[in-house]
Parts: sequence; structure tokens; C-alpha cells
Amino acid sequence: MNIKIPVSWLREYLKTDVAAKTMASYLSLAGPSVERVVKHKEEYIFDIEITTNRFDSASIFGLSRETFAILKSKNEKADLVAPKGQDFQIQPETKDLSVVDVLIKDKTLCHRFTAVVIDNVKIRQSPAIIKHRLESSGVRAINNIVDLTNYIMLELGQPMHAFDFDKISNGKMILRESKSGEKITTLDGKKYVLPQGVIVIESGGKLIDLCGIMGGQNSQITRRTKRILLFVQSYDPIRIRKATMALSIRTDAAARFENGVDVEAIPKALARAVYLAKQVSNARISSEVIDILSNKPKQKSITLDEAKLHSYLGFKLPKEKSIKILESLGFKVNFQNQTIIAIPPSWRNRDIKDDVDIIEEIARIYGYHRIPSTIPQGKIPNEISSNLEHVIKLKNDLKVLGLTEVMTYSIISNNLLALSQTVKNKVVELANPLTDQWQYMRPTLLISLAQVAAQNQYIKDSQKIFEIARVYLKKQKGLPDQPLILAIALTNSNFYEAKGFVENISGIIGRDLKIYKLKKKHLTQEDLSAAISEGSEQVGYFGLIDSKISDYFELNGPLYVVEINLTEIFNKAQAPKSYKKIHKYPPVIEDISVIVAEALEIGDILELLGKTAKPLLTKADVIDVYRDKKLGENKKSVTVRLYFQKAGGMPTPSDVATTRGQIISALEKTYRAMVRK
Amino acid sequence: MQEIEYIKQEALKILAENDFGSSYVKIFGKSGVFTQAAKKIKDVPEKNRPIFGQELNKAKKEIEQLLLEKRTEKSTRPAIKIDVTAPGKKRELGHLHLVSQAISEIVEIFNKLGFTLQSYPEIDWDYYAFESLNMPASHPARDEWETFFVKGEKDPKYGNLVLTPHTSNGQVREMERAKKPPIRMLNISRCYRRQIDISHTPMFHQFEGLLIDKKVTIGDLKGTFDYFTTRFFGPERVTRLRPHHFRFTEPSFEVDVTCGICLGKGCRLCKAGWLELGGAGMVHPNVLSSGKIDPKIYQGFAFGWGIERTIAMKTNLPDIRLLYQNDIRFLEQF
Repeated sequence: MNIKIPVSWLREYLKTDVAAKTMASYLSLAGPSVERVVKHKEEYIFDIEITTNRFDSASIFGLSRETFAILKSKNEKADLVAPKGQDFQIQPETKDLSVVDVLIKDKTLCHRFTAVVIDNVKIRQSPAIIKHRLESSGVRAINNIVDLTNYIMLELGQPMHAFDFDKISNGKMILRESKSGEKITTLDGKKYVLPQGVIVIESGGKLIDLCGIMGGQNSQITRRTKRILLFVQSYDPIRIRKATMALSIRTDAAARFENGVDVEAIPKALARAVYLAKQVSNARISSEVIDILSNKPKQKSITLDEAKLHSYLGFKLPKEKSIKILESLGFKVNFQNQTIIAIPPSWRNRDIKDDVDIIEEIARIYGYHRIPSTIPQGKIPNEISSNLEHVIKLKNDLKVLGLTEVMTYSIISNNLLALSQTVKNKVVELANPLTDQWQYMRPTLLISLAQVAAQNQYIKDSQKIFEIARVYLKKQKGLPDQPLILAIALTNSNFYEAKGFVENISGIIGRDLKIYKLKKKHLTQEDLSAAISEGSEQVGYFGLIDSKISDYFELNGPLYVVEINLTEIFNKAQAPKSYKKIHKYPPVIEDISVIVAEALEIGDILELLGKTAKPLLTKADVIDVYRDKKLGENKKSVTVRLYFQKAGGMPTPSDVATTRGQIISALEKTYRAMVRK
Repeated sequence: MQEIEYIKQEALKILAENDFGSSYVKIFGKSGVFTQAAKKIKDVPEKNRPIFGQELNKAKKEIEQLLLEKRTEKSTRPAIKIDVTAPGKKRELGHLHLVSQAISEIVEIFNKLGFTLQSYPEIDWDYYAFESLNMPASHPARDEWETFFVKGEKDPKYGNLVLTPHTSNGQVREMERAKKPPIRMLNISRCYRRQIDISHTPMFHQFEGLLIDKKVTIGDLKGTFDYFTTRFFGPERVTRLRPHHFRFTEPSFEVDVTCGICLGKGCRLCKAGWLELGGAGMVHPNVLSSGKIDPKIYQGFAFGWGIERTIAMKTNLPDIRLLYQNDIRFLEQF
């Protein structure tokens, strides 16, 4: 939460000559951060970020306390002056006393309940100084009583409320939990239907207060109000938080109650409110003070071993310094047997719990900038990095292959999910999506890549893009599967280019990826697809993207895609590389062209060559595939480059001729191939 | 000895007409002129043989010398005019996403300090994302993480499934995995929060470091940051710690780095010379206990921040959403 602090108001309680900007930078380094110093008319205003543990400093006086301790550690002159009237003794001033009859149904709801009635109130505008201070703090001035409640909250950090006492039936109030379905209209005119468990006050059968959040409209102060119930409480933070979440109301008061208020300071806040009310509205006190303390916080005493403090700081800080710092923050401190025993002030009761909290107080006021930087000394753990380090390298290699990396959202819409053809019980769905554009965790990257390709298709003709990210598939029990996937998309491309990338990747990651005909239908078209496997397991596939997807994105040309499950691949060991003897003599290289049926696959030809001609044939590469009507109907010509090599010397012409003859006859017999002369 | 003179003349002719390689073969090769001549020595009358041999050797040396000179001679070729400003013939390279580039730099820097990159679930249990990090369900500090929840049943032990709103779910997971300190872990992952504006995207990357050992000081945390910023942002940039609050660290800090534009003097783009880098702190004893590590023996520090934010600080990116629009013209800039 951010609060605005007019510096002149701060100076009312913090007497010091230190300039506003200097004060701001001291504060940022040792306490709450001053995010901005704004000059508004003649006034400096601090815009301060308050963290949830330090709501005690989210007020003018709270911040004065904090600044005081920090200035003291800097040896600056400073004095802290408490707001007037906090110790004011509230005594009835009228004979005809108003009676407030309070019933708290469950004492865990409200830790402290204080109230007093004032009468003879004149509702009018607040004095200029109050209006000015409220407005500088970002609060609109309304009338003297409403302003007073806001003023107390800004000044002391304690929210309070004022009821028109004449609208409270017979002065009777019941503080209880709401029942489901009860209704209330708040001060701002909004109507709420409550769930069970919201803290409310009932009076005469109606709800008059949404406790700790906002008052009811039916009991609010109007111009005709004469008698007022001033009301200062502390509520169960957890119930307040649940209520604000359930009703989606954020108020300054609720934020403070959620984080807890200083229970001991509540009567002081009421006294200060009465003191001010008498000044701004001629009020008289017309009831006894009600103060029901049902849950007095225990005073804690925390021990901190000095050695532990030094081990956090990295050096020995003299104990006098530690003690002085803690005392300036309002702690009561004792020192015995190398331990610091500290009792936090009431306003720090909620956030100071352990010895490490005391360490923080000492270290921050001493100054983090004064702690020397060091490089960690201990042993380096004997750990191996996860696969993500291989991914970093792989990405770099893909870039060198000419692929450009994209990063797309892992959360997708219902429309994109439908394109992925994922069975419903595998889909990971969000319970609280931001919009319907971001509703499901994607089960594939291909849809996202198709979207990017479509988005850029009129900017770049030939796109080669990739992404490495997780996909998410629900399991019956436990965490969803979240494997890391590599996906590639190529526009203006073809099957063989896609296959080439897969082959390159196989080499880069050092695994023997095999490519074979795709049996199962995926997001690609069956006749232009292939599966990728590592060992016996399918780890991916590639091919021309499904026409439903290209139609959906209005792609203007074919899109070839590749998807490989890296988690599965990286979990398998790399094929070890071992030395093979380098042939001393060069190979004899010959090309052979054969005319075969169109349907015959290159793989079959190569397989046959391997079977027939080893060991003399050490390598066979297909260097050309050629189709022409002259070759005959449904025929193609395949040219293979053959490498003949042997250990003892160059193969002789007759060695080569024999093997070549075997190859030709095998091809002729098995595949009715015709050898071109 | 006319024959030798004849051989010499022939060799000189070969030298004049051929390049080094073929001259060598034609003169000293298997059927080269000198090799042939040496074979003829048997035809020479016996008394003349020594002289013939000496003369032949002399001639051979002369020719060898010339041959050597020929080897070092510049080959003559017609001059070619080069235009050094004309484009070279290059391979088409791709581009790495800025986020990957940053990740790779960060990992490299922290590797040198002994941190290794580990990997944890992106969709994880509430327990690891909050509960084990000293953040019980009712705690208002949870509001700062605008968390996405996954539909489905709660696990009785670990609670709801969430999209991790930070990388800190790796803290207790790493303690469970490593079992015993020392720990020096780096976690970089996609994270998710329910917010979108010019400095937030619902998906972003965070990186997190965790170091646990017997003696770990606030100074060690500062030193680690200094080491990182000098290498990542440059030697002229320094860091500072400010008090902050996180439930899983105590003390907690916000880490600032000097603004790259004004180098700490203060300008329009920074807060009085400083830019917020991320959060850090000394690991809270309760978190160590969640990870079954004894806080009486061990202490440590943790830090984490958004990668996109550091990129924006380094490249003057005006709007973080640009990173995820995947406009090829943007991607090809980096």
C-alpha cells in the first residue's frame, strides 16, 4: 500500500531541522521506501510504500516514530512529540447520559471495542488546516465529524467510525457474524448481500455496520445529526480479509484491520478523537466510555544470541550499538550472557516474532550500505545442472541453423484449445482466468507457432521459427505432466527441409533420432507426416500442418511443423562416441543410377545395398532423384554414390567390379530395377 | 659430359614450362630426367663413372636450388578487382529471443559462483508456492501475487494447484531434492500473474537464486549481487539494498541498481538515480524448517526478479508486452 505524507504534518510530531529530501533518502535506505517526493503548493509530500508487515508506520505519527529512530542513528537532532489529547481523560459532561448497550456474540471477532457518545454536535465544515491536511493526503473533506474520523486514521493509523447515535435503536448494538444472505447498504450507496461469517453490527433488527470495512448508510452522519457515537475497534484480521475478498471491497480501513492494529493504542485514539471533536464541533461527552478488551496481546520477550547477529552481519557490532538502535525503536532491552533480550513496543507486536526480526531491525537501522560486500566462502556443491542448461545450448545451435526463436503465451483460449484436438480430461483449465483469451494451459506449441507464422506472413515470405517451452497435460492424480517441447514452424518450405532440421537436431543433441512413417494421427496431415523416435519410443513428429489449423489462421501457404519432446530425449543418455580407425587408403567412389518404381522408397534401396555389399561398401549416399516421362510410367531414377574401401589397401578394380555386380543383380532381382548406363 | 649438359638443359626447359609440382615430378619423379640419368650410369665406362656421378650431382643441386626458388616464387595470375564494400556470401542465421539471451548470460555469470540451474514444476502445489514459504492461506501478503489457480480437486496435503506466480516454489523443492547443504541453486522459469499493463504480462520469466550453507552473511548477498551487476550491466553500475518485506526471507531487501542513463545522478527514468532490480533476503528459519534443514545450523540467502524487467532496463524497451507479440521485425533486431 502507498500512503501520502505531508511533511509539515510530520514535522508537528517530529521536531528536526533535517531537510525533507534528506529525510526521504534516509527513510528509503533504512525504513519504508519514499518512492517520490512531490511538491504541492508550499508543501512537500512523501509518497511512501508501506509493506504489509509495517502498517505501524502507515500514519503520520507512526512514520514520525520510525523516522525518529533513523535520524537518531545518523546522529541527527530529533525529538518526538506525541499528538495532543491522547491521554485525555474522557468524563461525561452532561447529566442526562446516553446509554450504549453492546453485546459481542463471539469475542474472537473483536479484540477491543471502545466507544463514547458525544452530543451537542454541530455538523459543519472542518477547520482549514484539517481540510488541507486531508486533501494533501488524498482524502476528500466532507464535514467536521467524518473528517475527524479520517484525520485520526491518517494521523495514528487507527481506523474509526462515527454513527448517528439517534439512528441506533435504543443504543443497542449486537456485534456478530453475518448469516448468509443478509443485506446491507453501505455509506457509498452500494448494496451487498453478505455471505456467512462477515463481522457486522445489528441494531433494531437491521445491519448498521460492515465492521472494519465501511459503515451502513442507515446510521450515517447527516447535517441534522446531533448525537454521535465515536467508535474505535480492532477486529479479527482473518475475518476482515475473507470479507473484503468475498465482497471485493477495498478500503483503507480494511487494509489496516487486515494487517492488525495496535490494540493498546485504541483508547488513546478514542481520547484524541474526543479531544478533537470538542474543538471542531463544540461537542460534549454524554456517556461513559465503553472499553471491552477481550483479547489482550501478550507481551513477548525475544532473545537473540549475539553470535547469530554477528554471523548475519559478517562482523562484530558492539552490543551498545545494538541496544541503542533497539531502544530508539521503542524496544525494551536487556543484555545478559551474550544474548539480547528485547521486548517490542505494542505497535510492533504483530511483526516482531523471532530473533531474525530483531536482526533485521538492528541491521537496517545500522545501515545495509555499511555492511561490506563479500563473496560467499563455503564449499561449492557437487551438483549437476538440469536439462535446462542443454536447452540453452540447443537454442543457440538452432539459431546458427537459421531458426529464429519466438516466445508465445502458455495460456490459450478455448478456440485455440479446440484446434489442438486434446481430450477433455487431459486439459489443464484455469479456475480464475483473466479473460477468455487466457483460459487453458496449452497441450501443444504448434497452434501458437501457426498463429505467429500467420501474423508475420505478409511481413516475411520464408519464416523459420522455433520455440522451446513446456506443454501441460492433466493426469488423473497429482501434478500435471509438464514436458519441455521443441517446436519448429517453416513457411515456404517442404517435407524434406523439415526432415533436414530433425536430422540436424539429432546430430546436435547427440541422439540417434529415427524417422519413420507416422501411424497415429497428430496435428499434421497423414500423407505428409513422419514420426520421430529415439530407441523404441516415439518422441515427436513433423509434417504439413492440419488444414483446420491453417484455415483457422488463414495461412496463405503450406506450413511445415516439427514437435519433439525434449524431456523424454534428455532423460536418455547420449550415444557415446568412440574412436574408429581411420582408413589409410582412400575409397574408390562410383555413382550408380537405377530406374525403379515410384513407390519404392529410398530407405529400401539403401537397406538392400547395406545387406548386399558390406564390408567393401562403406557408405552409400543418395545424390539425385530424377523423374521424367522418358523413364516410363510411375518410374524414377535414383543415383547413389558408392564408397568402396578396405583396410589393407585400395580396393582393386576387380574387387569393385565384383561388389558392384552383386549390387546390380540384387537390385534387379529384388526391385526389378534397371541400371542406367 | 655432354650428356649431363643435355640433361640440365632439359630440366631447365621443364622448369620454365611447368609449375613447381609438375616440374618436380618431371625432373625428380620416378621417370623424371634425373632419375633416368642416374640409371644410365651403368652405361658409362667404369673410369668415367666417378666424374659422371659428381657432375650429375652438381647439376642436380643446381636444379634443386632453382626448383626451390620456383616454389617460393609468387604464382602469376591475372589481377582481380575486389570491392570490399560489396556484401559477403553469408549463411542465414536465426535470432535468439531477448529473454533467452538474458537467461544465458545470467546462468553463465552465476555458474562461475557455483550455482547450477535446476528445474521445478511450473504448475505446482500451493504448498510449494506459498504455504511452505511461511505464507499461510489467510495471509494478506499473498495478495501481492495475483495467482492463477487450476481447476480441480485440492490435494489434502499440498492444497490447490497454482500457476507458479514466482520461482520461489523452487526453494523448498531444492532443499528436499538436495537434502543437505551446501546449496547453490538457480531457477529460471515461466511465471504467471493475473495482471497486464505496460510493465506486466500475465506470463513472464523470473530467476531465483538460493544459497544455503553454515556461514552466510548479508555481506555475501551483497557481494553476489555486485558480482552479477558488474558483469551483467557493466562495471560502472552498483547495487544497494533497501529494507523490504517478504514472508520467506528475514531480513528482506529490495535491490536497486544505479540507473544506466544517469549513473546515479537522478533523472526522469529512475528514482533518484536508482532502479529497482528485484527482491532478496536471508532465508526465513521457517522456510528452512519446511525444507527439513536445521535453521540452528544453517542459514542462507535467496533472491529473485523478473527477466523482462532486467531486459527493459538494459535495452530501453518501452513496453514489456512487445516481448510476447512475436513480430518478426522485432525478433530480428536482436
